[in-house]
Amino acid sequence: MGIVTVIWEKWVEFRRDFYKITLAAMISPLMYLVIFGMGIQTTSHGEPYLHFLIPGIVAMATMTGSFSAIAQNMSVQRLYEKALDQIMVSPTPLWQFILGQILGGSLRGLYAGGVILLLTWPVRGDLVFNGLSVLIMLLNGMVFSTIALVLSFLAKSYADAPRYTSFIITPMSFLCNTFFSTEQMPAGFRQAVGILPLSQTSAMIRAIANGQPPGWIGFSVLAAYLAVFGLISMVFIYRKKNL
Amino acid sequence: MIELKGLTKKFGDFTAVDQLSLTIGTGEFFGLLGPNGAGKTTTISMMSTVLLPTKGEILIDGVKLDRHATEQKRKLSVITQEYSMRQDMNMEEVMEYQGRLYRMPKKSIREKTDELLEFAGLSDYRRRTVRHLSGGMKRKLMICRALMIEPEILLLDEPTAGMDALSRRQMWNLLRRVNAGRNMTIVLTTHYIEEAQALCGRVALINRGQLQKLDSPETLIRELGPYAVDETAEDDLVSHYFRQRDEAIEYLSRTGESAALRATTLEDVFVVCAGRKLEGR
Repeated sequence: MGIVTVIWEKWVEFRRDFYKITLAAMISPLMYLVIFGMGIQTTSHGEPYLHFLIPGIVAMATMTGSFSAIAQNMSVQRLYEKALDQIMVSPTPLWQFILGQILGGSLRGLYAGGVILLLTWPVRGDLVFNGLSVLIMLLNGMVFSTIALVLSFLAKSYADAPRYTSFIITPMSFLCNTFFSTEQMPAGFRQAVGILPLSQTSAMIRAIANGQPPGWIGFSVLAAYLAVFGLISMVFIYRKKNL
Repeated sequence: MIELKGLTKKFGDFTAVDQLSLTIGTGEFFGLLGPNGAGKTTTISMMSTVLLPTKGEILIDGVKLDRHATEQKRKLSVITQEYSMRQDMNMEEVMEYQGRLYRMPKKSIREKTDELLEFAGLSDYRRRTVRHLSGGMKRKLMICRALMIEPEILLLDEPTAGMDALSRRQMWNLLRRVNAGRNMTIVLTTHYIEEAQALCGRVALINRGQLQKLDSPETLIRELGPYAVDETAEDDLVSHYFRQRDEAIEYLSRTGESAALRATTLEDVFVVCAGRKLEGR
């Protein structure tokens, strides 16, 4: 199965760069936790701000973990190493390659989120993280892996991958229900930000963490993003004339 | 059998390959020659589905080749001009990745990896990552990877570029063996014209994406004239071609000491063909 082959390839990469990947997954979220959660001691709705922050940071870590695992890697494979040519000419069905990338990227996102869960364990208090949280983290990782795939197929130079991070991932990291609630935003902007996948993921993980049901709207929004970007990536890999 | 039918590739306003039609028989060793920018690599890229044609089609054993054509692609293996490999994998991983992409059983992957790396003299470096290999070693590894799956059709885009003379000769012998022994169809593009002359049963000369000549090297040389007289005139080397040896000797006797008689090569055919086209631009 082509999917297993791609996940094997991701595993080889993970095994080789284990320390780098783990450190990269930890540093930014830890900084945010230390500075915003512990350094600036505040409360939110009568609760320590850290309890608001942790679910958002976990959601953000799955996003950045998945996105960077695919965007950087695929851009390099396509534009620099030309390793994508090997895939294109092989009999592995290209939809399996895409699906393998999405799943592999999602697992990397889950790993990044898992590292944060482990690190925040001593300060988590009563926050709940269960199987449903893991499912949402996986789904979020799949969405951002798919977005990363589409963007890496559009990239025209090696410098584009970091640009996508600056233009897409960084603004989402700060705005999408991670550090503060989107409810505090002005009308119009609030709705626009609220529909973004990270806003939905943060909201769902936070709801579970506080012992509430996540609601199905978030799942539907993530599934819609996954379907749309998944379809675009399929069209690109099968139909794009100059891949 | 490979059939190229009216194959055309445009990049914006630039036409890289223009209505290219030719047939390559099963087991044939076929050369695709042309000056830089002639459209050779673009043609190979379309034959490996990395690029899709703007117009026209490619048939393999009568079935259209596209990115969905899993069964047709199973017959194909390609060695690209650039080192198209994961730079962070080691040799064993590169070979295993290829085997997995073609769904080879694990035992076969191990056996073929051992056999091919041994054959190519790379066994001692099997754990070395690609980025730490020399250019020649990378090239050999790409060949091992391509042969791993025992393809029916091997597409080679400048396979010996960057290799020293000895390695190149070894490569020629290897390619001759797989072509004859396994009846493998080989399509080769190369800048080394003597390579094409030594290996290919037929060659296509293309220029500006268009087919100029298509025949065996011997026939193309015979058409131009098998005897060449090189003459130095005003610091320029000018070659004259003759069908009869006597004509060449007679011409030589009329010129000064600056002329020499020799056998015409495929390179002469190439230079004349490309030169005419350049003059016509």
